[in-house]
Amino acid sequence: MNRVLLAIMGVMAALIVAVGVVIVVVVATGGGGDGGDNGPQTDATDEPGGGQRAEGELRLGGGEPITLDPHLTQDVSSAVYIVEIFGGLLTLEPNVQDPNDSTLQLKPDLAEAIPEPVQNPDGTVTYTFTLRENATFHDRTPVLAGDVKYSLERAADPATQSLVAEFFLGDIVGVKEKLREQADEISGVRVVNDRTIEITIERATPTFLQKLTYPTAFVVDQGEVESNPENWTRNPNGTGPYELDEWVFGERIVLQANERYHLGAPSVKTVRFLLSGEGITLYEARDIDVTSVPVTDLTRVQDPNDPLNDEYVSRERLGMDYIGFNIGAPPFDDPLVRRAFAMAIDREQIASGLFEDAVPVANSILMPGLAAYNEAAQAPAFDAAGALQLLEQSTYGGAEGLPPISYAESGAGGTAGESTALLIEMWRDNLGVEVEIEQAESATFFQDVNEGRYQMFGLGWFMDYPDEENILNIHFDSESPNNDTGYSNPQVDTLLRQALTETDPARRIDLYRQAEQQILDDVPWFPLFFARTHALIKPYVKNYLVPATIVPRLRFVTLEPTD
Amino acid sequence: MQGLLGYVVQRLLWLPVVIIVVSFLAFTITRFGPGDPISVLGQNYRDDEVFERVRKERGLDKPFYEQYYIYMRDVLHGDFGESVSIYRGVEVWDIIWPRMLVSIQPGIVALVIAFSLGTAVGVFSALRQGTWMDPFAIGGFLLLQSIPVLVSLPFLVLIFVLKLGLLPATGWGGPSVDVGPQEIALGIFSKHIILPALALSLPGVAGIARLVRATTLAVLGEDYVRTARAKGLPELAVVGRHVVRNSLLPLVTVVGLSLVALIEGAFFTETILGIPGIGELGYRAATSRDYDVILALVLIIAFAFVVANLVIDIAYTFIDPRVRYERGSGR
Repeated sequence: MNRVLLAIMGVMAALIVAVGVVIVVVVATGGGGDGGDNGPQTDATDEPGGGQRAEGELRLGGGEPITLDPHLTQDVSSAVYIVEIFGGLLTLEPNVQDPNDSTLQLKPDLAEAIPEPVQNPDGTVTYTFTLRENATFHDRTPVLAGDVKYSLERAADPATQSLVAEFFLGDIVGVKEKLREQADEISGVRVVNDRTIEITIERATPTFLQKLTYPTAFVVDQGEVESNPENWTRNPNGTGPYELDEWVFGERIVLQANERYHLGAPSVKTVRFLLSGEGITLYEARDIDVTSVPVTDLTRVQDPNDPLNDEYVSRERLGMDYIGFNIGAPPFDDPLVRRAFAMAIDREQIASGLFEDAVPVANSILMPGLAAYNEAAQAPAFDAAGALQLLEQSTYGGAEGLPPISYAESGAGGTAGESTALLIEMWRDNLGVEVEIEQAESATFFQDVNEGRYQMFGLGWFMDYPDEENILNIHFDSESPNNDTGYSNPQVDTLLRQALTETDPARRIDLYRQAEQQILDDVPWFPLFFARTHALIKPYVKNYLVPATIVPRLRFVTLEPTD
Repeated sequence: MQGLLGYVVQRLLWLPVVIIVVSFLAFTITRFGPGDPISVLGQNYRDDEVFERVRKERGLDKPFYEQYYIYMRDVLHGDFGESVSIYRGVEVWDIIWPRMLVSIQPGIVALVIAFSLGTAVGVFSALRQGTWMDPFAIGGFLLLQSIPVLVSLPFLVLIFVLKLGLLPATGWGGPSVDVGPQEIALGIFSKHIILPALALSLPGVAGIARLVRATTLAVLGEDYVRTARAKGLPELAVVGRHVVRNSLLPLVTVVGLSLVALIEGAFFTETILGIPGIGELGYRAATSRDYDVILALVLIIAFAFVVANLVIDIAYTFIDPRVRYERGSGR
């Protein structure tokens, strides 16, 4: 008996001593036990060099990716890494000369050039892509037409379980059949020879080439995927400017430059992402070189007297916040009620009061950076008296005639954001309507929006490629599965469908502008603010672009040498 | 020994029952609760037809009892399924196993701190019985016990990170080791271990201290202690050799209870501090409706509890021969 007890005590004593020694050593050496890496350690000193950076290394904050498999991803935090590690036939390039320019250019990536569409007698359209001679995977094997075909077919294989393959690749002849297990191959993808591949789409649309820049259309290495289907993304053999060097769960992702990248080797050789910790805290502790700025810190960094102000940049993003009105749910089945609720909102006041005017009020659905962006577009303007009048003219006859109304937003049951509180206040003051806030966690919120369970809701939309289709057609075409308000206007449908297939850019812009104004007048959405990215960038980081959507950009960055 | 064996067998026979009840409950709650992993993934580009196709591909369209049957059958074959909405397509076991190695690190350190500190405080209080120091020492730690981790953790962060600037605010780090499916960081060799270990251990100190105090007082009244004192042994020898050793015995039972507290605490500390362990995983799995991950965690934790309690019961019989799990009316 005593021997067992002694053994237990002995083990405990040994553990105590061991842990004590470790703690003392670690604390005394200032984390010297970290194996030489610059982990996220906050340093209290205000002297420069609190967190040391290694020569040629860029340190960023980042989110834990859900997957590094381009054919499975559809979330932002994964895409950030995937667009650097992988590539497809085409890519979107930010303007390297002018960081203030938020437009994105369609550029060839693995393809030599952007092909011209060739109209076939049956109405289909064929693009012939020629692959670059020097395009290789990270392991130096050349990228061949067969790899492109394999990748597209893998993305469209029902067993891959992509939720977006139909959206991004569905234009290609045969993809819908492949997704429904009616075909083994995609009939519209044909390998002509090792460096030539033909892709045939059902009908002409300028949008198709834009969709090819999304990860669903990226090229993966068949041999690698098939030999290690479970874990190949731990060491993926992509074609992008960077290779994955390390992914330590919840701690860091390290990328190494692909020196033979076909569009030019990146200048920064190592990019280290810290996956945990608050970006701005890490930035101030000099543990990372770039961070995004949360809304709560905007006031501080916008103050010219704040030391961080010199490092602050703000850029346009292809995204917006809006209030969606459920066309099928009373009282918003009456367009006058929708318009009244929109006109009761003073967005300027919210913008200046809460965001220090750092978020621009959106008077259109199409945002700057899009070809059809229209400064003359008119969303319902703030007019409290007019709003009240409209409400009285509506079929509900005024505030008293309205059913109980709630405003839904994604949230974990905490207090609503300040901007939501202001919306509620404005509806109360200007319309005399008491609106309840209904919060749902994101797991159910988006489903409920889609199923039309809310009367109205607050939501944002971020575009994946700079084409008007990616916001107007998918949200306002009455047939679109992404139409979240139940909006249906035959005239708008016609305009949107014409624009989708219109190949003359000027006519296309015109069609989209007409459709947009009609939508704004019908108020299924009330646009609130255009999205912007607010970031802090250390002065020694040059050419760090903050593009309007997620595109490869690390290869443009250069670093000034460390002292 | 016969009796012990029978007892162990009897307890082990309960294990499948516990597992089935727990898994059935967890399965029911996740499947019938709102949302599913597919709808979590598809926050943009929602197409119900596509979603239904993928659900069918994953067998999520089958009747509930059939899904449960398939799941349990796979589990019995060692297949815990795969993640959908956290680490898409990765085997659940490959996700959980490295994270358990992360969670164990603060857990071990916290256990050691709680037990050593608790023992010291308990013995100290017992020896100072009747003075102001006794209630003061225990009371101080009772105060810490009464503060939930949710509240104490931000305080610890305030003191050690923001005011003193000694520790990193959040996150996890340290030398990394490859454990097969993933690389993990050995935070136990870095400053990252300190905050979670403190947050996990401090609430447990008072309970241990009170127990040790009570048993120490009992032991102090024993004849052999009087004898030892009468022999003229120095106080240190009396306490060290005769009192502490015998008063630690009941602590073994608390280890099991501490395990409960550690797992509970891990959900909070790991989520707040951003430590990639099973607590943080469990929180994310629940909010992301990652069915297979949630169920695997529930099963593993249930299994650990049953086994830990069994081991403690057995250990008890070895430590104290008076404890015997005999059947019948032998006594």
